[in-house]
Amino acid sequence: MANPEKNFFAKFGEKCKDLWGKFIGLFKKSEAKAQAAAEGEACTEQCGMIGTELTKREKFSRFLKAEQGWLFVLPAIILLCIFTFYPIINAFIRAFQQNYNALTGNYNGWGFENFIRVLKGDTGTGGAKFVQCLVNTVIFTFISVPLSTLLALLISVALNSIKALQRAYQTILFLPYLTNSLAMGAVFATFFTIVGTKNHTDTIGIVNMIFFPNNPIDWMQGGTGYTWNLGAVKIPWTKYVVVIVYEIWSGLPFKILILFSSLQSVNKQYYDAAKIDGASKSTTLWKITTPLIMPMISYLIITGIMGGMKQYTAIVGLFGEQMGRDYDMGTMVGYIYSYVSNGQMGYAFAGSLLLFAIIMVITVINLRVSKKRVTF
Amino acid sequence: MAELSTSLTKDIPETDFNVERERKKQKIGKIVKNVLVYFFLTLCAVLAFLPFYWMVVSSLITEPQYRSPVPTLFPDTFLWKNYELILTQTSTSGASFSQVLVNTLVVGGVSTILGVVVTIITAYALARMNFHGKNLLFTIMLATMMIPGELYTLTNYLTVSDLGWKDTYTVLILPFLVSVYYIYLLRNNFMQIPNSLYQAAKVDGLSDMGYLVKVMVPLTAPTLVSITLLKFIGTWNSYIWPRLVNKSSWQMITNWVTKGFTDNKFVIYDGIVKGVRYGSEPLTTLKMAAVCMVSLPLFILFIFCRKYIMKGVSKSGTKG
Repeated sequence: MANPEKNFFAKFGEKCKDLWGKFIGLFKKSEAKAQAAAEGEACTEQCGMIGTELTKREKFSRFLKAEQGWLFVLPAIILLCIFTFYPIINAFIRAFQQNYNALTGNYNGWGFENFIRVLKGDTGTGGAKFVQCLVNTVIFTFISVPLSTLLALLISVALNSIKALQRAYQTILFLPYLTNSLAMGAVFATFFTIVGTKNHTDTIGIVNMIFFPNNPIDWMQGGTGYTWNLGAVKIPWTKYVVVIVYEIWSGLPFKILILFSSLQSVNKQYYDAAKIDGASKSTTLWKITTPLIMPMISYLIITGIMGGMKQYTAIVGLFGEQMGRDYDMGTMVGYIYSYVSNGQMGYAFAGSLLLFAIIMVITVINLRVSKKRVTF
Repeated sequence: MAELSTSLTKDIPETDFNVERERKKQKIGKIVKNVLVYFFLTLCAVLAFLPFYWMVVSSLITEPQYRSPVPTLFPDTFLWKNYELILTQTSTSGASFSQVLVNTLVVGGVSTILGVVVTIITAYALARMNFHGKNLLFTIMLATMMIPGELYTLTNYLTVSDLGWKDTYTVLILPFLVSVYYIYLLRNNFMQIPNSLYQAAKVDGLSDMGYLVKVMVPLTAPTLVSITLLKFIGTWNSYIWPRLVNKSSWQMITNWVTKGFTDNKFVIYDGIVKGVRYGSEPLTTLKMAAVCMVSLPLFILFIFCRKYIMKGVSKSGTKG
């Protein structure tokens, strides 16, 4: 196999030119027709009036004036081409190259080997396991998103029903949004982490102190501050609880902000009508308020799921860069990055395409569902 | 109807309807409801705030205090030495606070300013100017928003390695300069400005550029402020990309905070406390001090720009 990286930039330039030609051809076909017709009319009119044909120079300056917009978008286009468009194409190519070596640019043959290895849980010289990461991500997302949305709804309704101190509560409840997930992840980790030495447990963590002072639970089972866990109860799923608690806490502010503002825009007449009909508070909440702000709720759930599928930094904050013990708390994005720095880019590319596919499926489901349900 | 009226006439004389009592009942119900609502909200607010409080308190106590079986919630003396230590010492990764702070401020400042300028001119061209292929370009740009960023981070990693950009500021600034979402947001804002203003400006002899700077930018100032703030916060919080491409002295403040902090020179704890040699072990109190240093600027920003941030967030729903 030839070395494709050597004259990579020359080739890339050619490719760009090629694409550009096609691109121009594409829109010229569709758009230029109408425009040309309109321009042609104007031109003949003008030309007729003046009675002379346009010189080349005039034509050129006219062209410049018409296409001036390209000059404005040029910086953005150049950057997007290098750092967005080309990488997308490249990812689709590289994912199908077998044994791609990032350092030399060599590979041997094409095929689905990367995908097969990824799905089989092959880790090469070390890294996360795909299926485990997928399962983790799904667990985190599909438990924390509905719970935090429901809680956000209750809080927003409560917030909407009070008058005094409304602003103050709103501000405090929004605070967790503006934080660094790595920093706050580390803070949450201290809530749950048992600290001590081989012979002596120093502190069992504030959560254990409050809820399980007598037989503390080993929540983290790994992670940065984690040392020893003398006599602590071990339950395999407790580390998931830690992540979900953090996810709910960090997911609430945005949801409250959105739901509260949409609650405030609900027409008060609906509530008056409900009152006259003798509806109870809970009936009003579930039969009137919720359906009215359903579009917002479904928007929050969808964006929450999308964001949840891409979570990574929170886990690093909670469990450190190894994401627990040997990536056992890994997420999809964590999976991808665990293969970047150790040179096994084939896994990373295949994993990123799989993540892309999953997000596309969610998007399509979202479009289907939102068409069906969220119309009034 | 007849049934209803008979039942009404039957019922009313039997119930001793007392207006005063009903009113009292309603009043009590209202008070109970209010108490419950305020209790619920206060509980939520406390839970939302607790991690911050814990973070600050833990950063101001000694490690033995932190590790004592009884949690210290209200420390009587503050140990500012934790801060002194982390601000002067290099972390286990080898980067010092001043270094990563300078990195973060330079990268944040430059990428925010450049990013906003590029966003403005691109959004302007897409909103106001006519050129061939505009709609196609815009569609392609919007389509990329569907694709998860990790997909192109991988290739970008290879690209910057090929270009020899590792361990520079360029590599932290350029790849994320253009945000399609902000262009989209600003374009929609620009579209809302009536066309008659443009014609009036043209009559007055303003150029396209002059119109953009003198009319459109001031009119969309709130959105621009939101974009600027969110972009800066996004850079402040960036973690993955700097870790991937740069070595620790070129990394950002979030990379610094994830490393452990030890008292390896025995500045605070000399020797052995309770059988633990605090010199080599990462200390939670030091880490909490570092976490505070990262979170503090965000809080200051929030206090002064609450309105813009909340508006920007409710519009975009991203951190930058």
